[in-house]
Amino acid sequence: MAKISELLPRSAIVLNLQSKEKFEVIGELVRPLVATGAITEESEFVSAIVRRENMESTGIGVGVAIPHARTKAVSSIVLAFGRSDSGVDFNSLDGKPSHLIFLIAAPEEQKTEYIMTLARLSKLLRKDEVRIGLNKAGSSDDVLRVIVQHES
Amino acid sequence: MQRIMLYVEDTPGMATAAAWALRLARDMSCRVFALSVVDPDAPRRRDTQTSDAEERAWSQLYEVEDDAFQKNVRISLLLETGDPLPKLIGLSTSYDAELIVASADCRLTCSELVRQSNRPVVFVK
Repeated sequence: MAKISELLPRSAIVLNLQSKEKFEVIGELVRPLVATGAITEESEFVSAIVRRENMESTGIGVGVAIPHARTKAVSSIVLAFGRSDSGVDFNSLDGKPSHLIFLIAAPEEQKTEYIMTLARLSKLLRKDEVRIGLNKAGSSDDVLRVIVQHES
Repeated sequence: MQRIMLYVEDTPGMATAAAWALRLARDMSCRVFALSVVDPDAPRRRDTQTSDAEERAWSQLYEVEDDAFQKNVRISLLLETGDPLPKLIGLSTSYDAELIVASADCRLTCSELVRQSNRPVVFVK
């Protein structure tokens, strides 16, 4: 199974998210994945993400959110990462805004890989040192270095 | 009823318990809080670490979440570390869950959960 660092293209790392509202942030993260070709139908994918966000919180607390969807509009599992200095409200149960946002897009038929990617990413992001590293990262390479360093 | 606390654990009966809780939540338009607790003191195979247990716990939670999404059930995931019984009882109170659902083969001491919790508990077999 691919590592988190292998699923995150450099072009899908946005260190200075401009949007303040969660659906606009999701749009900012979806665009580079459309450009890579991993998301084949942007509107269908965004609909799936919006539907999930309207049903549940994808903010896992500690300043992290992982919006995600598994749909036919995706050709292969792929991630995007965005960082927001001001934070974005993802309705986290701890009530805190999310500063580190990882978006996961997966094809409909890859349920096991999708669940495992979510699980591994969630575990990774619960580590204080990972979040500190991602908050300090000055470049896309720094982000990937932090992830590679802590991936088991 | 508006909120159900589902205790998620890596046991053979878990899928049945989760399906029952999600069906009830859908029928009653409830929100589900799915809780998994990684117990660092639990005996485990020598080749596994707490971090592996955490990854497994997340994957079980996301399995339940995926099923909830397919059934149009609102769900929030909670992962905690510590002693499962007090965590389950404490979070059920914090989130004002009106019902606790667990698998009958979970590793909690069922009688202790029923005795210590002030909420109704259903064990699904």
